[in-house]
Amino acid sequence: MRRVIVAVSIAAFTALLAYATTVAGALGYLGLETRALARMFLALAYNPNLRELTAMSPAAVAAIVWDFRGVDTLYETVVFYMAIISALAIYRGVHKVGGGGSVGLSLIVRVVTKLLIPMNIAIAVSIAVHGHLTPGGGFQAGATLAVVSVLLAVVYSVNSFSRVGVEVSKAVALQSTGLIAIAAVVFTPLIYGVLTGAQAYLMQNYVKVDSGFHFPAEVLGQLISGTLIWLNIAEFLAVSFGFFTVFMLLSLREEVVKQPLLGEGHGS
Amino acid sequence: MDVTLLLLALFSTVGLVFTYLAVTERDLVRAVVYSAVQSSVYAVLLYLLRAPDIVLVYIPVSVGLYPATLLFLIGKTERVDGE
Repeated sequence: MRRVIVAVSIAAFTALLAYATTVAGALGYLGLETRALARMFLALAYNPNLRELTAMSPAAVAAIVWDFRGVDTLYETVVFYMAIISALAIYRGVHKVGGGGSVGLSLIVRVVTKLLIPMNIAIAVSIAVHGHLTPGGGFQAGATLAVVSVLLAVVYSVNSFSRVGVEVSKAVALQSTGLIAIAAVVFTPLIYGVLTGAQAYLMQNYVKVDSGFHFPAEVLGQLISGTLIWLNIAEFLAVSFGFFTVFMLLSLREEVVKQPLLGEGHGS
Repeated sequence: MDVTLLLLALFSTVGLVFTYLAVTERDLVRAVVYSAVQSSVYAVLLYLLRAPDIVLVYIPVSVGLYPATLLFLIGKTERVDGE
């Protein structure tokens, strides 16, 4: 009976959603033609002829995420940081990750994982530093690198974090480095403006109509798209080590963390 | 008929089947695996819908981080869902 109800409700919801999005047109026009808004972003993402409007990045999504609506992304990073802070607040008093005698999974799995981890790190770094040229960016790269923390915890047991030299305090320090780097990139135009008296805007990437300030779009003939590469690398650090922190704390066994957590009782 | 639409229909049907399995399964660990399969199929759907940026974040989250988080949580509670 329970299975029938679940099956019928899933089927009914799917049919309703399919009807709404196709025949009834609830999402508006879903054609293959590019809409005017998309055409505008595609025309402006990388366009050296329109220097006052372009973001100098051929990856249109990266141009939108870190330039056209950069402040949105900044606040998304803040929200993510708040979640990490609350995890740290819950696990306060737990300083050392590790302890206990478990050794992880079998030798075959451990050897294969040992081969996969360097590839994982290389792909993550590649996604981060090419974020302004190809699909990808700081958050994508950070999530990719965070998989390493899961592999370490599951395949090699919790002890492996301290064995490879990753501790909660170091992960938090690296995450904060990423956030400080983001702040540095955001405030650089403002500091430049104050020091030279020229017009410059917060989080400015390339020249504007009334401001000549810009980050270098190319270095040694390589396109780096001004702020985008720096923001992507900084976000990569912040997101990946934020995830590292959370997974290190989550993978702790209950008997290890119970003592510090219960130690701070109310009024006792 | 467009091949992309056929593939979209095929993969979303597979996703639907695994959604049903994940919802009805009593063993939470198996339910997480079904749910991870469903998320992986959704990654293919997002690729077919030409959203490579979302695919790149969806694959690590759906295959690695999301099942791992749920498995850590199941480890701290009971494995079989009671009535």
